[in-house]
Amino acid sequence: MLRAAGRSGSGVIRLRKRDGEDANQIARRSLSLFELRTVLSGRTTLLLGLAGATGFFVIWEIGHYLTPEESQRFLPAPQEVLGALITLLVEKDYIADILKSCFRIFASFFAACLIAVPLGIAMGCFMRLRALLNPTISAFRYLPAASFIPLLLVWFGPTDTQKLALLVLGVIFFLVALILDNTKAVQPELIEAALTMGAGRRQVVTEVVVPAVAPAVVDSMRNMIAVGWTYLVIAEIVAASDGIGAVMMRAGRFLKVDIIMAGILTIGFLGVATDILFRLAARYAFPWNRERGD
Amino acid sequence: MPVDQAPARTAITASNVTRQYVGGTFTAVDDISMELRENEIVCFIGPSGCGKTTMLRMIAGLEYPSMGDLTIFGKPITGPGPDRGMIFQAYTSFPWLTARKNIEYGMKIMGLSRDERSRRSDEFLKLVHLDGFGDSYPASLSGGMKQRVAIARTLAQNPGVLLMDEPFGALDAQVRWEMQEMMIEIIERENTTVVTVTHDIQEAIYLSDRIIFFTRSPGRIKADIPVSFKEGRRIPRKEEMLALPGYVDLERQLFAMMREEIQQK
Repeated sequence: MLRAAGRSGSGVIRLRKRDGEDANQIARRSLSLFELRTVLSGRTTLLLGLAGATGFFVIWEIGHYLTPEESQRFLPAPQEVLGALITLLVEKDYIADILKSCFRIFASFFAACLIAVPLGIAMGCFMRLRALLNPTISAFRYLPAASFIPLLLVWFGPTDTQKLALLVLGVIFFLVALILDNTKAVQPELIEAALTMGAGRRQVVTEVVVPAVAPAVVDSMRNMIAVGWTYLVIAEIVAASDGIGAVMMRAGRFLKVDIIMAGILTIGFLGVATDILFRLAARYAFPWNRERGD
Repeated sequence: MPVDQAPARTAITASNVTRQYVGGTFTAVDDISMELRENEIVCFIGPSGCGKTTMLRMIAGLEYPSMGDLTIFGKPITGPGPDRGMIFQAYTSFPWLTARKNIEYGMKIMGLSRDERSRRSDEFLKLVHLDGFGDSYPASLSGGMKQRVAIARTLAQNPGVLLMDEPFGALDAQVRWEMQEMMIEIIERENTTVVTVTHDIQEAIYLSDRIIFFTRSPGRIKADIPVSFKEGRRIPRKEEMLALPGYVDLERQLFAMMREEIQQK
């Protein structure tokens, strides 16, 4: 409602006023962080988010200064980590490592989706296929992907293929399970309505199930690519010479904590960026899907 | 206006239709036979769990009888098809299509040309009082409007029989009333055969020429009641019907039957 009001000319003023009211409320009630069912304006949400992030860096900074001087290099200050990051970028061709890692993540995730999305949707549509495959796929979810490293090394050697395979294994089974659930959640009446209109099986799947499930699938992909980023370091720890994970491992051997932390920050930043990219893509691709929360 | 033009054809027959679930332990519909005539508006009414929805879904071809036969205009019903349009209680307008594209979807399945589709979608948008909303997505429409999109989409296929499963059950009282009057107007214009499931007694009397009352588990026909006080008229305004002699008697009779059914355990 607020957003809608903001579009009209007079509404803009009302929007500002509301925002002021919000700020007043927070000021008036001493600590309204824990107030139930509060409606926040976009600006308040952004400010609170920034405050949280700033708080994190402040605590880190304090932690650094509370550390005894001889061990301070094990907890470098944020600005030192930032310095290390800049040095990496300017002098150590870190961009190449970042691009390598991004390639590994996106290529492996693309491959995983290529299999998991059609398979998950098909399993959601066809009971017999689901009954055939689901127990096995569910079981694979409980096998730790990292435990496949020795096997993949034997099969593929210390190659890119081995790392891509590990990243695929890390996400694909969860992705299938999530997309299966998404597909099961498609409102059955939509399918029945199409059937009573005379739609055939293929039409029901491609013209009803697929568009109905698409926003949820993109959501699942967004959540799973985050898991992909968490597997990146595992993939690049063993038998890797390039990539963000490899840089961090090398730094670890020389106790260069600032570089390790710079790597962590890089991955965190890239993860958040991917997330935002997915959200924007979803908003652009599904303008009809208003229920999506941010 | 009246429905008494010539001998009406038989639209739908059910012969000894039984539907059992869970390996025969639960009987939803028990040995029902009926004959529904063309251009007739029939309401299935009865307490919850009386099999009226199951019966409708079998006519739609979405479920199959365990025993017995169903036909539409003489042909056996073997599955769903565009000759029987169905409106559900849940909103089934496709959220990813605009109102217009929704209405065109059924016609697209039938293979109508693009020109024909856009001409007819205009016509049906107007028919359900949605002209001006053709380019809106369902998310920005009210519940009643979403349901009208679904109704227009179904009618645009020109089905011989229109099946409605508690079509206005999710709407608030005022919108439900508006929709009922709109339905009367549309049915009158399109000359459709209609089967509606409802548990709203007033709605059943207002919409139908004939009310089939179902008993509760197992679902059987308790009574087959012609709504004779309307003398075959489709009444555009609900309050006119309420003023007719005979209305209250029928309503009282149906309430008494409903109580009877509910009280039997």
